[in-house]
Amino acid sequence: MDVFGSFALVLAFVCAVYAFAGGIAAIISRHPLLIKSTRQAGMATCGLIFLATFSLEYLFFSDNFSIAYVVAHSNRDLSTFYKLAALWSGQEGSLLFWSFLLAVYVISVLITYRNKNGELMPYVGVVMAGVQIFFLTLNNFVASPFKALASPGVDGVLNYVARTDGNGLTPLLQYPEMVIHPPNLYSGYTGFTIPFAFALGALLARYPGEKWIHLTRKWTMIAWMFQSMGILLGAHWAYAVLGWGGYWGWDPVENASFLPWLTGTAFLHSVMMQEKRGMMKVWNVWLVFITFLLCILGTFLTRSGVVSSVHAFAQSSIGSWFVGFLALIILVCFGAYLKNRDYLKSENQLDSIVSRESSFLFNNLILLVSCIAILSGTLFPVFSEWITGDRISVGAPFFNKVNIPIGLLLLFLTGVGPLLAWRKTSTESLKRNFGWPLAIGLVTGLIALGFGFRQIYSWVCLILCVFVASTVVLEFYRGARVIRARSGASFAASAVDLTMRNTRRYGGYIVHMGMVFVFMGLAGAAFNRDLQKDMRQGDTMQIGPYTLLLQGFDTKPEKNYTAQRMLVEVLRDKKPLMMLYPEKRHFATTVENGTMVAIYSTLKEDLYVVYAGNSPDTQLPVLHAYLNPLVKWIWFGGAVVVFGTLVAMLPNRRAVLVLSGAQEPAVQTLAHGLTSSVTMREGHD
Amino acid sequence: MTKARSIAAIAMLAMFAIAPLLITPVGAQQLSDRAKQVGGKFMCMCGCSQVLTECNHVGCSVSASMLKELNQSLTRGNSEDVITQMFVQEFGTKVYAEPPKSGFSLVAWVFPSFCLFVGTGVAVFVISRWRKRPAQHMATVGGAPGISAEMLERARAQASRETQD
Repeated sequence: MDVFGSFALVLAFVCAVYAFAGGIAAIISRHPLLIKSTRQAGMATCGLIFLATFSLEYLFFSDNFSIAYVVAHSNRDLSTFYKLAALWSGQEGSLLFWSFLLAVYVISVLITYRNKNGELMPYVGVVMAGVQIFFLTLNNFVASPFKALASPGVDGVLNYVARTDGNGLTPLLQYPEMVIHPPNLYSGYTGFTIPFAFALGALLARYPGEKWIHLTRKWTMIAWMFQSMGILLGAHWAYAVLGWGGYWGWDPVENASFLPWLTGTAFLHSVMMQEKRGMMKVWNVWLVFITFLLCILGTFLTRSGVVSSVHAFAQSSIGSWFVGFLALIILVCFGAYLKNRDYLKSENQLDSIVSRESSFLFNNLILLVSCIAILSGTLFPVFSEWITGDRISVGAPFFNKVNIPIGLLLLFLTGVGPLLAWRKTSTESLKRNFGWPLAIGLVTGLIALGFGFRQIYSWVCLILCVFVASTVVLEFYRGARVIRARSGASFAASAVDLTMRNTRRYGGYIVHMGMVFVFMGLAGAAFNRDLQKDMRQGDTMQIGPYTLLLQGFDTKPEKNYTAQRMLVEVLRDKKPLMMLYPEKRHFATTVENGTMVAIYSTLKEDLYVVYAGNSPDTQLPVLHAYLNPLVKWIWFGGAVVVFGTLVAMLPNRRAVLVLSGAQEPAVQTLAHGLTSSVTMREGHD
Repeated sequence: MTKARSIAAIAMLAMFAIAPLLITPVGAQQLSDRAKQVGGKFMCMCGCSQVLTECNHVGCSVSASMLKELNQSLTRGNSEDVITQMFVQEFGTKVYAEPPKSGFSLVAWVFPSFCLFVGTGVAVFVISRWRKRPAQHMATVGGAPGISAEMLERARAQASRETQD
């Protein structure tokens, strides 16, 4: 099967090269057969990558320990669930997984537009094939996952051997979320290839109109949604496994995943300027280019060892390949832009600074500044070492100080932007839209002050969250009220109806609401408390309203590890609430230890308990308990963001006027001169 | 934009830009003891990229010994500066959890604020240029002479686009 997999990868590379070179020839010659054959080569590339990926999975499931990658990342006792995830647990496999996900996107694009956009698709196909060639080069010639296990003999000749068992999967990765977090994140990274291909393709083809923007937007939303899910799942994994009580440590690899998310978010907003007003064409194209570049940069940071991170793969020479690819992309993007920049001439005209256009411009500015701040902080240790010779660490305190004010500014714009009108917003409209939300926000702030709220950032965040939530609720309320008056339906049904009539707008509001929940959760971090204590059996620890009683210990042998558990009874007001079992796991195969945190989670707070090993002084087991307010809001907010994105991707239902004599909720005079009772019905576009 | 509005906007922007330099980190105030407060300013040197007081990898001997050293130093009554010097001598400048606000490291602090100011300047410049441009393709109401059906249709499509979201 390893030979089959290797062969499939080589063939995929050949097909990708044909799709690329043939595609360029097809663009020049415009020969229909050549265009068709290059598209088919593109599809064959994807099919062959699928075969290679399934081959590697088969090697894992069949415990083939003659393959170096399988030996390094699996063992016989590893559960089926984790054998699936072992594919992306190391450098070589994760690069193949990258190619696999990219192939899923590429084949989806090729099938979706097989008979559409004939002028644009050959260009898009060439760009996608170009990206595939790069990753297939890595898969075939730099980091092949199908290398046989070999050891050099006395004569220097490699002897191919097979082991009876493998080294096993890293303990930190043996957690359910590790099976879904990387695929989501990688789907985000790879997904941004498609908007990039459309943007570059449209620029090269000088594709007329804004159609490429419409096509790009949907693919960007898909990639953005996966990136959002990937980031949040990663945060949740860090929270539940690493045991340091937090979910975001501003680790370079975490930052790398956040950067394209920020520019992707900026693009999703600024693209509306181009769609509606024909503005910011150059900016939008460059935002797509930068987002893709940041995806490749993130992969480079994770795999090159240029920055130190717990998430990074082993240091290797692969980084130079990424640097070369980054340089090539920048060169191509600049070349295409300089050659065709007149194609991006915008119809920039603005009536007032108080307008939706301005708010989008500032929204983009803030997102970009945040991106620059995080990128510069992440790379600063490298620059510092180059220039001064000293390597400076840039940890979480720096990123928090820099990004919290930026985040609050962004949150403010989240509330303001959608309520401003295109072109110009009147003073009357400002009062009508912002009066109540502002008042509700400020009153909440005053009440919070009265209750002793003294953390400045969290206080501002609370006010802004209430303000933004009020603006969103008010928008739904006003729209639903109109529909309710006409249709007589319930308020909830009217709100759903409203959403389905303009999914993009109201889906966007739902996403904003999700972000409000996330910000609320983040604001709670200012009130985190923790306590650590050496515990004997029967000892208690008090944290907040909870009493933790150590009832004892037990040992739980599992197939792949042995767990030592603390049996902690949680009491509240002297009444038993529940049992928590924080554990320490010992993995015999890898001779490594891991933690498994126990969490009692409510909307108000998380009681987060860690078995932190034994005290070096007393040899007693150490219980580390945290009380983290509002953490659940972050995960809930993430789910709302994903839901809102899905809603925004749905097609609009069109409101249809249907004449009916049976219902009389409203009587209107129709333009045609008819007078009749009118009900609203819907039909899909 | 009136002068008062401009001043207010710049003041607000400045507040956000310099806030990172002035305000203590979130969470610093509720730390229960001084060791945690001082320890929050250093990185754990085990390679985990975490702040010293937050590293609790099972069996991390580095953070345990660093915290012990920190506690002993505080017990001796050493100031934060002395402790900082001690750790810098032992581990180098990479022990700082955040770049010092001096020398080349100041660039890390100033750069985001600089970008915010420059970006805002560019945005304001761009907006003011957009405002000076004359409106394009604006059809008058009522089918005024010289307006073709095509122009009217285009204006309707534009109005529809601009009022949908």
